[in-house]
Amino acid sequence: MTFLNKHFLWIGQRWNAGFRRTILAIFIGLAAPQGRICGQTNEPAQPTNELKRLSLEELMNIEVTTVSRRPEPWFTAPSAIQVLHGEDILRSGAVLLPDALRLAPNLQVAQVDSRQWAISARGFDNTLANKLQVMIDGRTVYTPLFAGVFWEVQDVMLEDLDRIEVVSGPGGTLWGANAVNGVINVISKIAKDTQGGLISAGGGTFLQDYAAARYGGMLSTNVYYRVYGKYFDHDNALLPNGIDSTNSWRFGQGGFRLDWLPAQGDLATIQFNVYGASIEQPTPGNTTANGQNLLGRWTHSTGIASDLTLQFYWDRTYRDIPNSFTEDLNTYDLDFQHSFPAGARQQITWGGGYRLMVDHVKNSPGLAFLPPDRNLQLFSGFLQDEIFLVRDRLTVTFGTKLEHNDFSGFEVQPSSRIAWTPNEQQTIWGAISRAVRSPSRIDTDLYFPNPSSLPPGAPPTIAGGPNFDSEKLLAYELGYRIRPVPRLTLSLAGFYNNYDDIRSLSTNALSNNSFVIANANRAEEWGAELSGIWQATDWWRLRGGYTFLHKQTYVKPGGSDLNRGRAEGNDPEHQFVLQSMLDLPGRVQFDVTLRYVDTLPAPNVPSYFTADARLGWQPIRNLELSIVGQNLVDSQHAEFGSPVTRQEIPRSVFGKVTWRF
Amino acid sequence: MEILGDQKIARLLTRRLWLLALSLYALMAVGELSAQGFREDQVKAAFIYNFAQFTEWPPDVFQQTNAPLFIGILGTNPFGEALEQTVRNEKVRGHPVLVKYCRTLAEAEKCHIVYISSSEAGSIEEIVADLKGKPILTVSDIENAAYRGVIIRLMTERNRVRFRINLEAARAARLTLSSKLVNLAHSIIGREKQ
Repeated sequence: MTFLNKHFLWIGQRWNAGFRRTILAIFIGLAAPQGRICGQTNEPAQPTNELKRLSLEELMNIEVTTVSRRPEPWFTAPSAIQVLHGEDILRSGAVLLPDALRLAPNLQVAQVDSRQWAISARGFDNTLANKLQVMIDGRTVYTPLFAGVFWEVQDVMLEDLDRIEVVSGPGGTLWGANAVNGVINVISKIAKDTQGGLISAGGGTFLQDYAAARYGGMLSTNVYYRVYGKYFDHDNALLPNGIDSTNSWRFGQGGFRLDWLPAQGDLATIQFNVYGASIEQPTPGNTTANGQNLLGRWTHSTGIASDLTLQFYWDRTYRDIPNSFTEDLNTYDLDFQHSFPAGARQQITWGGGYRLMVDHVKNSPGLAFLPPDRNLQLFSGFLQDEIFLVRDRLTVTFGTKLEHNDFSGFEVQPSSRIAWTPNEQQTIWGAISRAVRSPSRIDTDLYFPNPSSLPPGAPPTIAGGPNFDSEKLLAYELGYRIRPVPRLTLSLAGFYNNYDDIRSLSTNALSNNSFVIANANRAEEWGAELSGIWQATDWWRLRGGYTFLHKQTYVKPGGSDLNRGRAEGNDPEHQFVLQSMLDLPGRVQFDVTLRYVDTLPAPNVPSYFTADARLGWQPIRNLELSIVGQNLVDSQHAEFGSPVTRQEIPRSVFGKVTWRF
Repeated sequence: MEILGDQKIARLLTRRLWLLALSLYALMAVGELSAQGFREDQVKAAFIYNFAQFTEWPPDVFQQTNAPLFIGILGTNPFGEALEQTVRNEKVRGHPVLVKYCRTLAEAEKCHIVYISSSEAGSIEEIVADLKGKPILTVSDIENAAYRGVIIRLMTERNRVRFRINLEAARAARLTLSSKLVNLAHSIIGREKQ
């Protein structure tokens, strides 16, 4: 103790003149480590009082911390939100977007083969998962074919990523048709924050070749741009016996972003992306996919605490799976949102949108979407009222979304939420929401012809879903966040979900050998998501979480389901992820991500535990060398699929060089 | 003999390790000290409290000698509890200091000091135009705030808080800023010829 006192006295004297400041320095210096050891450091309330006793001159000599210890904005949000920062994602060694999503403890992510993923929140996970809303820079990446996402063609330049917000639980009021079990919001930096050049290249065993480049500049005062391009090719996944399967793939994407900041608070953005992919398939030939999208958005602040956002995008996706189907989809979407205070205690947010999806499908003898061509329209409007019952302490939010789709007509999705922040260190929140998964083409238009063994004219094996209605959810959530010490944030969210009209493959009244798609299932779910972020020291950051999920599906009385309710997702009861990011001397970074996923029940997939590791080194300021190992624990492991057809993910290594200028 | 030698080495090693651990901790503690500091918002809150002490309002502003002095926060509150903690139980020339969270300009107009949060950057012109000429000390850390008519702009330079004063705006608001405050300012806009 004497040693420490002397030590800090010395520092105090050297850094500041004047006795009071010296005492202050001792106080600050000692209070922190001691408090941390005792585990009872709180917000430095004492120092705040200390500060006001200082003179202006003394105040001007106080050094302020640049790192904000203030809780991030989501700390008081009344939903199970988790935020992955761009930096955390780069440090995990992730190269593909689905790899990055593995870092969110409240998502179920399974890699099905070299290029397919099953991703969901709160269960119902499979490659056709349909209860998640995914947006990339405001653009909903959604195919009306199955109300889900083709993950292999959703890519971003990870170096330009600001953050990914992951909300588990319904977000239906504001987020739109598919936000039943969760929302993923991928947000890239504005061009002003990605000025200069970046070239990154590497290669390895699973991800074989990788190259990416970006350049950002300024066109004129307040007009910034960036252009980027990336390419990779990816090796096959493995069959259970260790032999290569045939699904290697290549992917390239490029585009630009233009940001105009005419005045403070105003932002006009134009973004364009184009991509192409070729996926190996043994017979009858490669699957190809490509897409182009263009988005324009204008945010204008119209007064105190009020702003207006107007957004338009066009998104074309094309996919040709030989001998299955070809889809050419054009989506046109127009949205606006207006937020303003109503009196001193309320904030109103309202908005509306229109979406037109022009979908052309070319069918094959094996399966058909009938009619092949459809124009789908979606009208939506929402209204939300945030009421600040006690300023900064107690907020209730009521909102509802009203939409009209071509399949099930009008849908109402109301929610009410409450957030109580007794002090800056804690938030308790609760929510009751209704959300709807509106039908998609796979639910109503899908036909499988009958086998040729049956007499001609017999009804098809799957005869569409003429009466398919939307799937409904009533969700009850309760959450708690605490920051016991400034460097540690813990979140716990519990939920009970009650689903009705879940999809089923039910017997067709016409024939024993024919099925229709119907809503004969219901389901119940409960679970809890625990997550935490701990900035252990300035050079060691830990984040991670554990999710428990229990799901039970039932066939409703009088209904039938060929799959007995088990085809709608295959989910683990337990899973955890832990990411450690360590800054070592000599500009070396050592990062490890551990993850465990419990057994999947039907079909059975064994539980697995694996680890990713990354070693990064910056020999000079502009250059970064890194080596990443993924799925290091076993030589290969399965994450999804039935034992007969499933593919396994190999242990892999790749190296990368990144140069910034 | 040999055992004794080992013990000696062990003792020596232990002492070295102890020293090593101690110096490591010292090293960490130094890092801790430089990283700990005060949060920017805490220091800025203390500055705002100081501004209240160095500003004189026109006599007609306070109807009573013990009427409260309101500090309004217009827009998102960046201080957390820091500003309230700073002014709790404090009086400036007999006026108890209270913090008010304003969501409209009408509410802000009733305050004596208005801190314009950076969330209002988009509407600063409108706010300044509305509050102009009223006996309100406007404070903000929005870029160019002082040039745009805010009386005191707070800024952070090399991790230290500095402020810029727009004297013209202060005069228009009929506020008298003490010469001490003016002398400590990083820079002055609209200073009279000396």
